[in-house]
Amino acid sequence: MNQKEPEKPWNGPRLYVAVGAVALGVLIYLIGLPGSVSLFGTPLADLTVPIALFVGTAGVAITASTAKAGRWRVVDIVVASVLGVAGGLIFAAWNVASTPLREAMVPPVSALVVGVWLFPAVLGALVVRRPGAAVYTELVAASLSALVGNEWGFSTVWYGIVEGMGAEVVFALLLYRSYGLVTSLLAGAGAGVAVGLLDTVIYYPELAAGTKLVYVVVAMASGVVIAGLGSWLLTQALARTGALAPLASGRTAERV
Amino acid sequence: MTVLLTGLDQREASTAPIGRANPAAKLLVASIISVALILTVDPVTAGVALALELAALPWCGLPLRKLFRTSWIILLGAIPAGIFTLLFGVDSGSTLLGLGPVTITEGSLESAVAITLRILAIGLPGVVLLATTDPTDLADALSQNLRLPHRFVLSALAALRLVGLLAQEWQTLSMARRARGLEQGVRAFGGQVFALLVIAIRRGTVLATTMEARGFGVDAPRTWARRAHFGRGDWLVVLGGVGVAAVATTAGVLAGTWNLLLT
Amino acid sequence: MSEPGPPLVEARGWGWRHSTRKAWAVRGLDLRIEPGERVLLLGASGAGKSTLLAGLAGLLDPDESGGDEEGVLLIDGVQTRRARQEAVRDGHAVTGLLLQDPQAQTVLARCGDDVAFGLENHAVPETEIWPKVHKALDGVGFPYPVEHSTGQLSGGERQRLALAGVLALGPGLLLLDEPTAMLDPEGADQVRQTIATVLEMTGAGCILIEHRVEPWLPLIDRVVVLEPGGGVYADGPPGRVFAEQTDSLAAAGVWVPGNGGRSGAAGRVGVGKQVVAVGRSPLLTAQGLAARRPGQEQPPVRDVDLVVRAGRALAITGANGAGKSTLALALAGLTAPAAGKLTASDALAKGAGPDPHKWRAGQLVSRIGTVFQDPQHQFVAPTVEQELAVGPERVASQKKRLFGKANPATTSQIGGLLERLRLDHLARANPYTLSGGEQRRLSVATVLATAPDVLVLDEPTFGQDARTWAELAALLVELLGEGKAVVAATHDAELVELLAAHGEVVKL
Repeated sequence: MNQKEPEKPWNGPRLYVAVGAVALGVLIYLIGLPGSVSLFGTPLADLTVPIALFVGTAGVAITASTAKAGRWRVVDIVVASVLGVAGGLIFAAWNVASTPLREAMVPPVSALVVGVWLFPAVLGALVVRRPGAAVYTELVAASLSALVGNEWGFSTVWYGIVEGMGAEVVFALLLYRSYGLVTSLLAGAGAGVAVGLLDTVIYYPELAAGTKLVYVVVAMASGVVIAGLGSWLLTQALARTGALAPLASGRTAERV
Repeated sequence: MTVLLTGLDQREASTAPIGRANPAAKLLVASIISVALILTVDPVTAGVALALELAALPWCGLPLRKLFRTSWIILLGAIPAGIFTLLFGVDSGSTLLGLGPVTITEGSLESAVAITLRILAIGLPGVVLLATTDPTDLADALSQNLRLPHRFVLSALAALRLVGLLAQEWQTLSMARRARGLEQGVRAFGGQVFALLVIAIRRGTVLATTMEARGFGVDAPRTWARRAHFGRGDWLVVLGGVGVAAVATTAGVLAGTWNLLLT
Repeated sequence: MSEPGPPLVEARGWGWRHSTRKAWAVRGLDLRIEPGERVLLLGASGAGKSTLLAGLAGLLDPDESGGDEEGVLLIDGVQTRRARQEAVRDGHAVTGLLLQDPQAQTVLARCGDDVAFGLENHAVPETEIWPKVHKALDGVGFPYPVEHSTGQLSGGERQRLALAGVLALGPGLLLLDEPTAMLDPEGADQVRQTIATVLEMTGAGCILIEHRVEPWLPLIDRVVVLEPGGGVYADGPPGRVFAEQTDSLAAAGVWVPGNGGRSGAAGRVGVGKQVVAVGRSPLLTAQGLAARRPGQEQPPVRDVDLVVRAGRALAITGANGAGKSTLALALAGLTAPAAGKLTASDALAKGAGPDPHKWRAGQLVSRIGTVFQDPQHQFVAPTVEQELAVGPERVASQKKRLFGKANPATTSQIGGLLERLRLDHLARANPYTLSGGEQRRLSVATVLATAPDVLVLDEPTFGQDARTWAELAALLVELLGEGKAVVAATHDAELVELLAAHGEVVKL
């Protein structure tokens, strides 16, 4: 009650740009991508739907982030940064702790452990609820992980951006309006798919196409459970402590 | 762990020509080389890139001992990925060794070498960047030279300062939980992570107030106490990076091993 | 660009309600503070003192935070939010805010950069920044060069650095929110003296929130007491307000000067009254004990010989960094001795063996209870009630492991504890949402829930108001009377005095 309606992000030019992006996505879908170029032995034509979806959502995400409702306050930025830093510390611990696990398992089973590296993306978005929060939080976490030192070095930073994008796409698709359990699970899945694809490109390019697919699916499952469900539970518990009161996620709680 | 974390927010300034270059230049080099190498898996491109990187190392201001101390962990990742490809990669060419499902062929050996070299060649510029750059200078360069939004860059930098503090909090939390009767275990670990997050978010909120009270985040122009110069030397470093990527790629193409991964 | 003089503050029917709260933090506030006036702001916990300071600093924005605002809050006739933004664009600050937590007030890794941070945000030209930084650091008597790392500063040094960062912007009004509450006595003295010098030098006004009033009195011209959710309760020169409002201020937790201050509170709990000692048998014996924290190479505390006895107190005191807390943690069985021995008597060990640090956590909690300086470190459950049940459950599961059966704590036992520590109305609240004093009482209650024979407390009175202090002191005396041993690491002189009457003092 007595909650102020945030200014609608969809007015004037912003609306046209968003509609344009969606139209471009539809256009890609209607015309279809060429089958002569292939990715992992999959003709690009088979990827028409995901690519069309991506183009549409990216447009929506970018326009939404310019809206006033999407403007980051200082407290949003600092808390997302702090979550990223805490995530980076947990990465640093997990990088070491998961080594025996990862070496005991061969791909595609080893993708089970990736979920831990994805949780800051979903957590950041759930807590600060701003466009780009997933990418930003994950990027900070990954950068710290690289700074502390890990076996992947600087490419950790690229990973962070791509993983964050995977989760971000889901929040953008839902117009940054939904931060519930289902959204959270989907965002975990998105991040999982992103890291799965990246791993198969960079680390296991020689795997058979079928195994790559299984790898991506396993990574997605890991993302859903650890990053999606885990972050959602964590956000609920954090909200109960009152620590989120200055943030958008704390404000939806009942007044006490 | 704690040893790794102390002093993370401050590094000694390097005096070597590449080491003291603008962090944005070093970042560009690391990015260009890694993109060039992500495109292909072949031993010639990766090998040439790695060789050129090693040749440039004396100008990076990173003694071999220090390099090894910070980068052994990359080796740790490169070797298992190589061995895995060797054993389970797609087989081609003549079989060198066969043990049931595990076969080592000329093809899988070539892939294994390529993958190991690639991980090392991608990793090395990043190690040099991270080991020779002070985070404050990096933040200055990111916001002044690369024009990334300064509110985000500076907030991340401020949050980085909390690392040492959070590491201390972690130790206190461990003791405080034993005092409450909780044994170490997976569940207790989860609870401790949660407690750390609560503390971190609270600190972050106060830190945000501090920063705002000192005028941070107001929609107005900002000045910089230290100007980050991007000079001729920095352009040379970037050019060097482009050179490494170009020479390595050309070598791979000429040798006929270069293959665009995404097709 | 000349810096304007101290500003005039006016509140007309001003109120603010936080977005997550039903009740207004401040409401119907009418107040006028003349330029250069130095005001002490008092009121019970939750009276909205910090909210008022945040409002004056221009940091409360209903559009951004979803909070609700009523009336107007003006600084030199301009709405505070706008005043802040205009000031940032003009390159100086109207107000300067200094908060309690030293750790959360350092922004950057180098001292000079940290001071320059505000100047950069105010778009001060590059050439003027460094001279201003040096001037501000000199002004607070900061002992290190600009390149010095902020990582290793003490709390007092951090607060002075933060003050330099604020002063560099030339504010006409300092907003001080308990700036010394988290400092040791030396650090607090230094910060206070620095603030006094600065006010004298600049002629700036100040609004100060502080529970421990006495040492600040020479600086203050006026006292304003806020009423929770209401307006001004009392207002006037310090002498008059303290004389007229002694009781209400004491109830609000203020150490009222002239009321005996802390010793007044101590008097009420009976310093000097020798409680009849129960037992006095030794529970813990330290011989040549050296203690260190995990990760520390050199133990800061060495060669300690002492005995902790039933029904007796042991106060550990000493200068900052002498290792008071470190020794307390070792005595509590939380760290292994770096050298020497810590032995538990059979009466305390009850079959668990002589080395407390080797006990399982479930055994430890029913033998030695530890209260940490920050209560939040010890919260493990989602409600106050469940928080109190955790200890007894751990003890029960430990007994079950050994004997196959156990009786967990009953609801009535927990209810009794809640009542004893005035927490019964909060049984279902999340521990993190309690006020500072409530959190402290809860952390003590959780320890008492398992009825340990030895209580170890690390700076238990740190940052607490007079009321919580007195309650805690009374409780400790009561526990001593019940035959518990109380060990406290503290730099609180009054607490040391109180405990000394019931035992001994170790000075490190």
